[in-house]
Amino acid sequence: MSKRLLPLVALLGMALGAVVMVYPYAYMVGSSLKTRREFAQDKEGLVPPRFRLEERLRHSRGESSALDWPGADWPLWQNYADAIRFGRVDRFLGNSFLYGAVITAVQLFLDILAAYAFARLEFAGKRVLFGLLLCTMMVPPAVLLIPNFLVVRQLGLVDTMWGVVLPGFAGAFGIFLLRQAFLNIPAELEQAARIDGCGSWGILWNVVLPLSKPALITLGLFTFMGAWNMFEWPLVVLSDQDFYPLTVGLSLFRSETSADWPRIFAASTMGAAPLILLFLAAQRYLVGGISLSGMKV
Amino acid sequence: MKKSLAPYLYIAPAFAAALVFSLVSMGISLWASLHHFDAFAGAAGYAGLDNYRRALGEADSHFWLALGHTALYVVLSAAGVLLTALPLALVCQRVRWGQALFRTLYFLPSITPGVVLALVFYHLFGVWGNLLDDRRTALPALALMGVWAGAGYNMVLFLAGLTEIPQHLYDAARVDGAGPWQQFWHITLPMLRNTLVFVVVMTIIGAFQVFTSVYIMTSGGPERSTEVITYTIFLNAFAVAGQMGYASAVAWLLFGVVAVFVFIQMRLFRSRKVYDE
Repeated sequence: MSKRLLPLVALLGMALGAVVMVYPYAYMVGSSLKTRREFAQDKEGLVPPRFRLEERLRHSRGESSALDWPGADWPLWQNYADAIRFGRVDRFLGNSFLYGAVITAVQLFLDILAAYAFARLEFAGKRVLFGLLLCTMMVPPAVLLIPNFLVVRQLGLVDTMWGVVLPGFAGAFGIFLLRQAFLNIPAELEQAARIDGCGSWGILWNVVLPLSKPALITLGLFTFMGAWNMFEWPLVVLSDQDFYPLTVGLSLFRSETSADWPRIFAASTMGAAPLILLFLAAQRYLVGGISLSGMKV
Repeated sequence: MKKSLAPYLYIAPAFAAALVFSLVSMGISLWASLHHFDAFAGAAGYAGLDNYRRALGEADSHFWLALGHTALYVVLSAAGVLLTALPLALVCQRVRWGQALFRTLYFLPSITPGVVLALVFYHLFGVWGNLLDDRRTALPALALMGVWAGAGYNMVLFLAGLTEIPQHLYDAARVDGAGPWQQFWHITLPMLRNTLVFVVVMTIIGAFQVFTSVYIMTSGGPERSTEVITYTIFLNAFAVAGQMGYASAVAWLLFGVVAVFVFIQMRLFRSRKVYDE
């Protein structure tokens, strides 16, 4: 193949793949704009029938069309409004934000302290303790589901918001990531601060952290996304719907017998949008972080 | 060196959390798996290996069935990732324009809740010919969604691996008259070995724990054809039976299978400098 043609073929291939990646999202958003009747009649289409040109033409000719179906006068955002009003999606979204924020804040704080000690302080048993942490990181979450539930139950926190967030505070992976970032900071800077009378606590907050912003942002984003997407744990630990995060709330709609699918898609779109916006705002940290460490969302 | 308590205070909170929700948890799980342990009635006596025996040996146990499904899902996922993410990375590397845009679009599923993806594909698979209603196509359909969702993420990993290959190797090969295929087999693949193993192992470990898509899309059906290990654990412990002891035994059996790959993963983390001395 000629040198000029190759990038063009590659571009075409990637564009084709991009369509495959985006199509389910287009389907989700398109379906979220349909009325129930439209979804029942036309499950495949990306554009709700009442907005299609041929239906409009048929309507203008006085023939029967999708514009005669119930809900044809709906505004675009009808399902979104209904999902909030009747499905309490705003409540679920609020819970998800709360869980994400609390888990991220606490985990980051604990990770920072531990990572700093492992990177810069000397103490007996450091290597053994670090190895132990490495071990905890490798236990598959699926194995921890039942015992974590038993621990949380023992603490009397089943069906509470604390029960949802508590296991999320443990994050050995963040300690490894931050420790690596802290190790890359020149030790001379810290020595200078120490001469100026700074203790290890002051050095951590005034010297080390400001210089580790990219790693902190990366870890924070990943932790938040992981918390936002968690499903099995809150599903198991909660039964009061008031505490449901969005993921569990969505599965609740799904199990209703007469599921209102366009409304579920509206709720799904609202559940996916915040992370996508966050990703767009901060993707250089995320992509860089993955390349660096193979971090999993 | 001054002996001080301070370092221990720094690591204590994180350690407490990590220990309670992993090592202590594991201990409790092991204990539960050795007892007749009902979620509602509580522990009812030492059971020895009864729970394990029941999982491995009894006719009504779905362990082997579920393990078979899980294994098939794992194989399909690993093969799917290799057949999508690596070629995508190789193609993406050649693109001169819009690489960042493609990376963003391909990455979308990685930042979308699994529940949302499952709800959407539940309908797409219906539209495409009721793939989830047929016991022969349901599990491959779930794997297909998993591969689709992971393609962009793994592509980014491969792209990072590709950029680490020194360009002069290709230049030298070209001087020696090596074509694109020979360059791929003799330079790209060997140099990408670490990334390849890393991606495959991470995919395998993740695939062993697939749950959300099964729960949302098939509930293990049709005719149990998509019942995977994590779903068996969930059903037994939380859904109907409340048999925590038995479910814990199944979880430990799962861990035993995954442990091999976890061991490889641990070594890889060292080699990737996430963890070094």
